[in-house]
Amino acid sequence: MRAQRVRAIARRQSYVLRRAPQRWFDVIVWPVVDAILFGAIGVYFGQQHGVAAASAAFLLAGIVLFHVLFQAEISLATGFLEETWSRNLLNLMVTPLTELEYGAGVVLFGLGRLAIGVSVVSVVAFALFAFNITSLGLGLVPLVVILLVVGWAVALVVIGLILRVGQGAEILTWGFIAFLLPMSGIFYPVSALPAGLQPVALALPTTHVFAAARALVAGHPLPWGQVGIAAAGAVVAALLSVWYLTRMLATFRRRGFISRHV
Amino acid sequence: MPESVAALRARALVKQFRRVRAVDGIDLSVGAGERVALLGPNGAGKTTTLMMLLGVITPDEGTIELVGRRLPGQRSEAMESVGFAAGYLPLPERLKVREFLRLFADLYGLTDGPEAVARGLARFRIESLADVMGNELSSGQRTLVGIVKATLHRPQLLVLDEPTASLDPDVAHRVRGGLERSCAEDGTALLVTSHNMQEVERLCTRVVFLARGRVVADGPPDQVAAHFGRQDLEGVFLHLAEGGADPISDARAVS
Repeated sequence: MRAQRVRAIARRQSYVLRRAPQRWFDVIVWPVVDAILFGAIGVYFGQQHGVAAASAAFLLAGIVLFHVLFQAEISLATGFLEETWSRNLLNLMVTPLTELEYGAGVVLFGLGRLAIGVSVVSVVAFALFAFNITSLGLGLVPLVVILLVVGWAVALVVIGLILRVGQGAEILTWGFIAFLLPMSGIFYPVSALPAGLQPVALALPTTHVFAAARALVAGHPLPWGQVGIAAAGAVVAALLSVWYLTRMLATFRRRGFISRHV
Repeated sequence: MPESVAALRARALVKQFRRVRAVDGIDLSVGAGERVALLGPNGAGKTTTLMMLLGVITPDEGTIELVGRRLPGQRSEAMESVGFAAGYLPLPERLKVREFLRLFADLYGLTDGPEAVARGLARFRIESLADVMGNELSSGQRTLVGIVKATLHRPQLLVLDEPTASLDPDVAHRVRGGLERSCAEDGTALLVTSHNMQEVERLCTRVVFLARGRVVADGPPDQVAAHFGRQDLEGVFLHLAEGGADPISDARAVS
């Protein structure tokens, strides 16, 4: 892997973000909207039961961590989509760039984008609702790492689907995350879900991350058992997504699907 | 690349898309510094062949060696010495020409990216486009920038798919001039597809005609024309486009 190529891809992605105002919606606008929305809901419900600050904290911790997952996924998936939208895929495929270098470049850029998005939601939560995500301590670190891995895994599956079926699959960039939002119990325990959905929720690594985060918000120590389950699930998801993407890339090359992108 | 190493060597390439056999056992080689045109009517298999040669499409059968590197295993190393441009490829919208070229200079591993970009723009006399956004270029300017991109790293093999399609004659002339300079100065081998037979006769020393996925003629332009009993390549092209070739009986190589 050549660092020069990785940096080149990251720089190319940064130009796009700089010159496409609509991309700032994902990075700035949605984090602000989500922080205000869920912070206000938490305060309102808390006022009904006399625990406003605690309720808001649960929701805001959930939404801040959700944005780690969201930004990780969306920056990688839309980074690839940008190449299909601008019909640049063939240009890249006929250079020495390897798939790994391309992915590393987009992830490198995505980490910067993620830092902005998560900072925005965190700052708004602190400024408007006095919720400081860092007060949860170092226990956040493994949770963030697991969410990053799951976000990237989801993005790799989305990219694989786009390679396989074309741009019609791009809606899944947002669709998969929209599915994970309720199913991962971001704001509530799995027991709050309908009984038929609970096994599905429990199979998701993200569910265990958010359960662990709620434990931290409640002042309990980090439940390492749940973190372990989440980490194992994230590793499985990552391996499966790499396997799937590799297969789809082989299909893409074998069936000449580049013709859809020129 | 040592002098003796061919720029391209492909053997027995086959590609089938569902019921269509797009490429049916093509052998193709391009020597170091040689200028070869890959010709044929629409559907002859030219673009599929080019995409296989560049590692973008996987052949069902056959072997490909680019600048001495075997595909697909050594694709990345091979592409450090290969350039590609196509008249139909746009430039990414949100990049200036200079940024676009710098991106590819880095992808090709050049250590003097800004200087290489300046040299490339000067070679095709389009320095004034350096700070223009990609989506503001005319189709002719886009083609020129695409060729600058493909030649930034002074490749040993330059592959061009319809480089001058839909260009004004003066821009097409400038493209040809730039390509001739590039090939002469760097010893670059050229593999080009085109529907402009005059351009081919001027640029290339050898033509390979495809029809129905097979090579039906391979040799210097005048000999290929004579082989088919035509005055020039345009006559051969029309003959093949009208289905006049029997790929089996015409498959004897001219050279």
